Amino acid sequence: MVVVAVSSPLGWNLPPLLETVGLRRVFDGLTAVGDVDVRLYRGEIRALIGPNGAGKTTLASLITGRILPTSGRIFFNGREITRLQAHERVKLGIVSTFQIPTVFRDLTVFENVVLAAQRVRLRSPQDFFRLREGDLLNLVQEVLDRVGLQGSWHRTAGSLPYGHQRLLEIAMAMALRPRLLILDEPTQGLAPEEITGLMGLIRGIAQETAVLLIEHNLRVVLELSHRVTVMDRGRIIFEGTPSEAELDPTVQQVYLGVGGGWN
Amino acid sequence: MPTPWRSILTLHLGILAALGLLQFVLPPFHLAMITRVLLFTTYAVGYNLLLGYGGLMSLGHAMFFAAGLYGAGLPVYYLGAGPGLAFLSGLMASLLLAALVGALSLRTTGVAFSIVTMMFGQVCYLVTISLNRITLGDQGLVLAGRLAPVRVGNWILPLNAPSVRYNLALLLLATVLLVTLWLVRSPFGRVLVALREHEERTRLLGYDPFPYRWLAMLVSGGISGAAGAAYALLFSYVGSAFAAVLYSILPLLWVLLGGAGTTLGPLIGVAFMTYAVEFASRVTSAYLVVVGLTLVLVAIGLPRGIAGGLRGRWWWLP
Amino acid sequence: MTFVSQLVLALLEGTVSGFILALMSLGLSLVFGVMRIVNVAHGEFFMLGAVLAWWITTATGSFLAAVIVAPLAVMGMAIAIERVVLRPIRYSPGATIVATLGLLYLLQQMTLMLYGPEARAVTPPLGGTIELPWFGYARYKLVLAAVAAVLLLATWGLVRATTLGLRMRATQQDPEIAQAFGVPIHRVYRAAFALGAGLAAMAGVLVVPVQQAHYLMGLDGLLLSFMVVILGGLGSIGGTVIASFLVGWIDGIASIFFTPTVARIAASLVVALVLVVRGGGLFGES
Repeated sequence: MVVVAVSSPLGWNLPPLLETVGLRRVFDGLTAVGDVDVRLYRGEIRALIGPNGAGKTTLASLITGRILPTSGRIFFNGREITRLQAHERVKLGIVSTFQIPTVFRDLTVFENVVLAAQRVRLRSPQDFFRLREGDLLNLVQEVLDRVGLQGSWHRTAGSLPYGHQRLLEIAMAMALRPRLLILDEPTQGLAPEEITGLMGLIRGIAQETAVLLIEHNLRVVLELSHRVTVMDRGRIIFEGTPSEAELDPTVQQVYLGVGGGWN
Repeated sequence: MPTPWRSILTLHLGILAALGLLQFVLPPFHLAMITRVLLFTTYAVGYNLLLGYGGLMSLGHAMFFAAGLYGAGLPVYYLGAGPGLAFLSGLMASLLLAALVGALSLRTTGVAFSIVTMMFGQVCYLVTISLNRITLGDQGLVLAGRLAPVRVGNWILPLNAPSVRYNLALLLLATVLLVTLWLVRSPFGRVLVALREHEERTRLLGYDPFPYRWLAMLVSGGISGAAGAAYALLFSYVGSAFAAVLYSILPLLWVLLGGAGTTLGPLIGVAFMTYAVEFASRVTSAYLVVVGLTLVLVAIGLPRGIAGGLRGRWWWLP
Repeated sequence: MTFVSQLVLALLEGTVSGFILALMSLGLSLVFGVMRIVNVAHGEFFMLGAVLAWWITTATGSFLAAVIVAPLAVMGMAIAIERVVLRPIRYSPGATIVATLGLLYLLQQMTLMLYGPEARAVTPPLGGTIELPWFGYARYKLVLAAVAAVLLLATWGLVRATTLGLRMRATQQDPEIAQAFGVPIHRVYRAAFALGAGLAAMAGVLVVPVQQAHYLMGLDGLLLSFMVVILGGLGSIGGTVIASFLVGWIDGIASIFFTPTVARIAASLVVALVLVVRGGGLFGES
């Protein structure tokens, strides 16, 4: 277990936004995540990296509530959420994207975002039976503008190019006004210009939202994140700044041992 | 894109108006047939809410139709209730049943849901058989002569007059159609469809599936029950056959044939099958062969039904 | 009859029907295990076995001929159905339910057209009774049980010890991996479906001398098979067999005290509530 000296970038001395204690998830005898203690702070961009099968996506799923832990505890904003169901966690502000951009292919871009936006805007049961889409228009417009999809609002999500589907998914996430945004390999499959655009977007988002970034693209990790958490075989083997991670021998070993180098 | 309300409403009102005018050109036999078509379309629209929009294949919906049927018919037969009260009673019965069945069955999904609803449907059917002394089981209760006419202001509308039946059935269908239209376009409806499309994604947008589906089942069961109650009152007959599994499978067939997830699909499916079965029954006593054959063909060849195929071309059809 | 003799009779009858139910449920369970589909028309294979057995016995005078030919005929039908109906819809769960519901009506109604609405019996090939302390018990029923037992063992042997059985088990575990290892999935599906139908048909054939052949007899069998398969565990041979006897005995005893309608109500409720409580992942989707 690695003892970490925390130097949180923006949330200095504040209690962590997200904290896991001894988090563990076992599948049929295989320990996908074992004894993980993680703390995320408001306003930081944390990269979660590691070789394939290290448990990154499993950890993210435990945080979002898609799967429940075998043991251990999770706290969000001081409140324990270990057994809380996924949809409840979304309402608390934990929002995630899927590894493969998952949008409603037969609905338009507009309708996709409305689905997310109405979750935030519609509070009482009666709201759900009212019809005026105008109410949500502002939020949808704002979010689409930020990701740059405002021109495609009428197109069906399935007809969008891959990179735009990714942006749509992020727009939907943003419409939910997240406190913690978990992005699972968001740059996967994107062209270089798209990646640069996405990085700018994420920097913008991080002004209001903590971001947990699961990534394989090391350029993105190095340029974008404040701190890096490295996992291998279900455990955290390193936490520190990106440049520290690059130089750390344990981290290099893990990467070199698997595929040869950082890329 | 904001929903093209104008086109949708025009289409629906147009069809309803056409149905309204149809009564003046139909010979008596077809007038009665189309009245039944209108009632069964109401049933199918209710079923469609759960199947087409909710994505849940219930195989026991006859229990809701029968709850409406008996819920209206029994008070008339034994207590001399008037038609308005009887209709409400039927509606209430089906809503209560839907609430209960929904609370239990919606803990399952997919094939298990279908089997569970089929089982509950069977139970209800068998109950109507075993409570023979009250319901007279398969033989059924004939309500003619016990039914008071409907009174609207100064008008007296006897329920055995073919034109009264036709128009009341049309009125019910119009109401149900417009209610469904409103519902599926509302935020609630959107969530329901999203759950059908990709449940996990919708969960991760912060939606708990259960209350949406339960409500959908409530409305679906209520509409089916309304159709059943109307059937009892308009055709003056209440019998176990309507609770049997055939009447759970027919709405499935009607909706699949006409196109699940569309509001007008059910009308097409009901009309087609009702006439197909009618003609088949003149040829053989095994006329349900038509039902069987159509089900198989629909499963293989027409997964989106007729209106569903149309929807590909005219995307705005609701 | 004294209570004890009633009980013994109920248990004997329950055991016999347990064997029949085991054959039928095994077919359903196998099809689900290997193909991951629910065949709602499964009961109709049972019915067709019975009806064909009546026809062949009446036409040729030989029950043995029926025992051999009827199941094979039904298996042939099943192979055709698999090819023409199931494969085009790619075994998708929703479409299969719709298609098999259609087949249920098709098969039932065609039988109605060709065989008629009457229930017809076949005299047991083996007459006579075995004298027990309380009553005489039909010798044929004991033979029935023996034959069924042999068939169950044979099926178990097939699944455990033959190449086909191995392929079926592999497909059941993971169809994609099995295919990657060269298992001809479609042939395995065809074999499983045919075997399932054959077992059900055989149950129908064996039952005809005891219970008359009627075009609606598939439905009751289906309900009880569902019950067995859900209680005994889909795809598990041992579980299915044990559950068959449990259900057979309970049904036998219950029918002494309750009317058939009430018994069916109870059976349906049991199936529904077990599925509800188990949370619905039972049929593979969760």
